[in-house]
Amino acid sequence: MTEPIPTTPRAPSASDGTLEPWEVFRQEKDGDPMRHGGSVMAPDAELAVHYARELFGRRQESVRLWVVRRADVLDLDDPDLLQPPLDRSFKKPGGFVMRDKLAAAREAAGQSKPKGRPG
Amino acid sequence: MTSTSRDLAEAEEPAEPELPVPALDALLRSMADDEFVIGCSDSEWTGIAPILEEDIAMSSLSQDELGHATALYGLLAELIDGDPDVLAYDREPNEYRHARLLDHGRGDWAMTIARRYLYETADAVRLEALAGGSWAPLAGLVGKMAREERYHAMHIGTWLERLAAAGGEARDRLEAALTTLATDGATVFTPLPGEDDLVTAGILAAPMSELADRWRAAISPTLTRLGLPLPPSSPVADARGRSDHGEPFTWLWSEFTMVRRSDPGAAW
Repeated sequence: MTEPIPTTPRAPSASDGTLEPWEVFRQEKDGDPMRHGGSVMAPDAELAVHYARELFGRRQESVRLWVVRRADVLDLDDPDLLQPPLDRSFKKPGGFVMRDKLAAAREAAGQSKPKGRPG
Repeated sequence: MTSTSRDLAEAEEPAEPELPVPALDALLRSMADDEFVIGCSDSEWTGIAPILEEDIAMSSLSQDELGHATALYGLLAELIDGDPDVLAYDREPNEYRHARLLDHGRGDWAMTIARRYLYETADAVRLEALAGGSWAPLAGLVGKMAREERYHAMHIGTWLERLAAAGGEARDRLEAALTTLATDGATVFTPLPGEDDLVTAGILAAPMSELADRWRAAISPTLTRLGLPLPPSSPVADARGRSDHGEPFTWLWSEFTMVRRSDPGAAW
């Protein structure tokens, strides 16, 4: 059986007045990405939205809010999956780090570093 | 625009009907004082509300009410050539014209919720009766206030439902608060001196006594569903609904005028 991706399990909602954290994402103006603004404590979804509105919207600083129960967030922080020990620089947009290899090749060919594109 | 066409435009406008200034004064004063007093009263929760988030919410709601008071005092000041700060801060306690509903002191959380519920629902009925009014400065302001009050109604409805559904001490306290406030709820609709002039001028859609009936009809379904006491249906008997404020308001007044009185005439 395939091992499930190791996110934290979701806790059932208490819904008995117990406070729990809710994460709030806000959009500053139309077209902007949703950015994490912070969190609020609330006993249920309705009050969570109220408090999100007050903490992240009362000064007209947001045009949209997303409110997510923290327990519903899939949390992945496994270092084997996110920070493996081998070099992964070839996966970066820049590819392999070529600086040292280029310098060695130029030295072998007796050329100096180009000074930039002509005119 | 040339002076000729401007003259023409003015000539084509219908003659401006004369404003019923004394009645408008009474109306604006009652509304501004209501918003000012409930704003000051509820801001007493700042720092001690049940949880941090609610502390911020209640403080923010109180600031909204003070903002509405500022706008209404500003309108009144223009009408009577007065000063908004003088109106807000330089009167004696017995000169304020807020509804007696707001004269019970801060009380516990249930008292605050009960008072806000009765006031917000009454204010909504009042704003609706003014929104289409013939005096553009007030009708315009009321339209803006109503948009903010929409959130206030959501907030207070949420809390009323929760305290009512919680049972136990929370529900007991809510019932006690609603019983204490019941007869004073309708003081928001205390008849205003000269209110017939406001109705005739098309500024106010209906007399206060009729608005009181609309208010009872508006809140009855919710209170009945939750099994909570309804405000009595007897009309407000006399004009004392907006005077005779009593000791809790004298204390609140001494708080909100304290800084102003500490250095009279200072520019802040």
